[in-house]
Amino acid sequence: MFVAIEDVCFSYSNAETKALDNFTLKIEKGEVISILGRSGSGKSTVLRLLAGLEKPEKGRLVIQDEVLFDNKTFLQPEKRGIGMVFQDYALFPHLTVAENILFGLFRMKKAEKKKRLQEVLELVELQDFGKRYPHQLSGGQQQRVAIARAVAPNPHLILLDEPFSNLDAELQGKIREDLRDILKKANITSIFVTHDEKDAHILADRIVRLKDGRIDFVGRPCDMLDTYRQPGMQQPSTKGFVEKNLIGIN
Amino acid sequence: MQHRFANINAWTVGAVIIIILLFLPNLTIVSGLFTPSNENWEHMKEFVLWGFVKNSLILTAATAFFTIMIGLSLAWLIAQYDFPMRRFLKWALILPLSIPPFIGAYTYHGMLSHTGIIQTTLRDTFGVTLNPAFFDIMNLPGAIFIYTMFLFPYVYSITQVYLSQQSASLIESTRILGKGPWKTFFQVVLPISRISIIAGASLVVLEVLNDYGVVKYYGVQTFTTAIFQTWFGLGDIESSIKLAASLMGFVILILMIEKLLRGRRQYSYSTTKVRPLPLITLSGWKAAAATGYGFIILSLAFFIPVAQLIDWTVLTFGTIPMGEFMSYVKNSVFVAGLSASLIIIFALIVGNFARMVRGRLGKLLPRLTVLGYSIPGAVIAVAVVTAFIGLDRFLAPVYVWAGFSTTLVLSVSIVLLVTAYIIRFFAIGYNSIETGYDKIGTNFRDASRTLGLGVTKTFFKVDMPMMKGAIISGFILVFIDVLKEIPLTLILRPFNFDTLSTKAFQYASDEKIMEASQASLLIVGISALAIVFFYKFLERELD
Repeated sequence: MFVAIEDVCFSYSNAETKALDNFTLKIEKGEVISILGRSGSGKSTVLRLLAGLEKPEKGRLVIQDEVLFDNKTFLQPEKRGIGMVFQDYALFPHLTVAENILFGLFRMKKAEKKKRLQEVLELVELQDFGKRYPHQLSGGQQQRVAIARAVAPNPHLILLDEPFSNLDAELQGKIREDLRDILKKANITSIFVTHDEKDAHILADRIVRLKDGRIDFVGRPCDMLDTYRQPGMQQPSTKGFVEKNLIGIN
Repeated sequence: MQHRFANINAWTVGAVIIIILLFLPNLTIVSGLFTPSNENWEHMKEFVLWGFVKNSLILTAATAFFTIMIGLSLAWLIAQYDFPMRRFLKWALILPLSIPPFIGAYTYHGMLSHTGIIQTTLRDTFGVTLNPAFFDIMNLPGAIFIYTMFLFPYVYSITQVYLSQQSASLIESTRILGKGPWKTFFQVVLPISRISIIAGASLVVLEVLNDYGVVKYYGVQTFTTAIFQTWFGLGDIESSIKLAASLMGFVILILMIEKLLRGRRQYSYSTTKVRPLPLITLSGWKAAAATGYGFIILSLAFFIPVAQLIDWTVLTFGTIPMGEFMSYVKNSVFVAGLSASLIIIFALIVGNFARMVRGRLGKLLPRLTVLGYSIPGAVIAVAVVTAFIGLDRFLAPVYVWAGFSTTLVLSVSIVLLVTAYIIRFFAIGYNSIETGYDKIGTNFRDASRTLGLGVTKTFFKVDMPMMKGAIISGFILVFIDVLKEIPLTLILRPFNFDTLSTKAFQYASDEKIMEASQASLLIVGISALAIVFFYKFLERELD
């Protein structure tokens, strides 16, 4: 198993209920996972925990046989090799596009850096924009820079937090296709969080639906559609499905 | 619980040490309350203490009242109406803050004295001689006038910004509901702006309690002057600690009243779309009255004293040797620059710590450091000296071993003064830095860390460059406050160490009012420039 999240619990210090309650998920290499849920369902928390920006109360996180977190270990975010695309992109406003992308490449040699920069700029089709500053780009371009920056250091896993929420509807469709191409071309395992089912259906190999910090459905997009189509069923029954897919809910 | 301190590291250790160092000296004051009282203290309690308390109460209450009157009326005019020169008055009305009250105090005294411009003009030009008592400003009402003139911008600026940001629909709906302008003011504007008025007025009250220059110069007995008299006149530091502790109790009471008045009434918008207030254009005599009112206040509080200072500077230029004057400038810039730099560095560390920790304790600790600004200079002076003498005693064996001829090393050095400045003005720098951290949020930091940079590298490559504005503005604000500071500098400076403000104060105290003008004008000029800079800076930021 490439990524393993086992029995993870987490609650924010100012909240009474758990943001995540015994969350378990296993991901294969190269898979695109979508975490679907309403706001407050705990979906962004999963990403923050994986990235190391929050510390779980209990559980275990493993990527490629390396333990990121268990009761003895807490690997700092900078040591995890996980890329993240933030909801508001968080492009450094005082750095150019090229400098933003080079930011995470400090371990590479100079020639190597230059080559990688060109590669990722080509990947997101922004070859001529290296010298621009983030505020000189459109929303869609900014998002592609954010993806390029996260992909550049060759992370094991890339996390995307609501990648389409800041784009207008017209752009969303186009960007969705682009993103799918980029992710598949780069062959990076990825998890993205969204509240929009359409995003999940188009992009994901597998969908995880969250409700109140617990998994409510896991499966291929087409399976989710099927569960809705069965006559007389309001809520898809997922219990058997979950067990079949080795997803434990306690 | 466990996840709260997910990022404990060198930053945490540094921040906790700074917080403790900033807070510790204040504890020496509290401990002073529990030492047995001596004869002086009994005597003071019986005969004079009530006098200080009464004067301090009258000064603070009257100044608060008048600054609210002037500050609020001007704020309302500027926020609601348009009249000639409004745009200029809007920012120029903050300028009186650039004149430290003690400089205003001696300037007014100079103008009103027997040889001052007012009486000589009356005598020589009009042949009128009035009762000199009529011109006597060196008393309690005079001190109230000085504080009101030079401190009202605290109420004005906070309230004006608040009122200008009020949603237009709020005021408009009041008008539509049939209330006239006066009823609107008293039934809607006053209650909703209460928080900002109280915030401004409590700054005024704290400044009045902190002030030493005006009351000392005008011979008004207050808590602050009593603390220094007991300390230096009677050489009785124990009693002065007790006085300082009483004053601190007084300040804490005021802070509690402020909190209570503000209470749970946190008004917030029920809509996110806040449309700014459209201005009502005044014309005819109403417009003239509005412009005139603004200009009368601005003249009394800024133009007239500054013109007088310029006049005196021209008259006495060259009487103070340039080399001597430059040494005051150098000392001022040195202590102000050093204190401001240290405060900003400490504030960056504590601020970064504050956003790393979670939970109530993490939020509370940095708040403790801000207390210093509400503690009057006299109290801080007593606290710091007591703490440093203790420290010197502790270090005495080290001094002996190092071959020093005395065991009082730190307590007579510039370290003492700079420490006192840091405790007193930390809040000014910290507020600016905290706002900076709030503005950039945590996403950029998180992004940097997921790109492989640790906390410290992230701080230098991401946080620092993005907070340039907050760092510069925090530095300037502290720099100016140190430049203007009087009681701490006067009392804690090393022997033969003079700054612009101590020199101005000494000249004025020796009745060499004209000689004091050169140093004063420089202080006022630098402060006024900073105010203009901020106004332009803020305006650009808002755009």
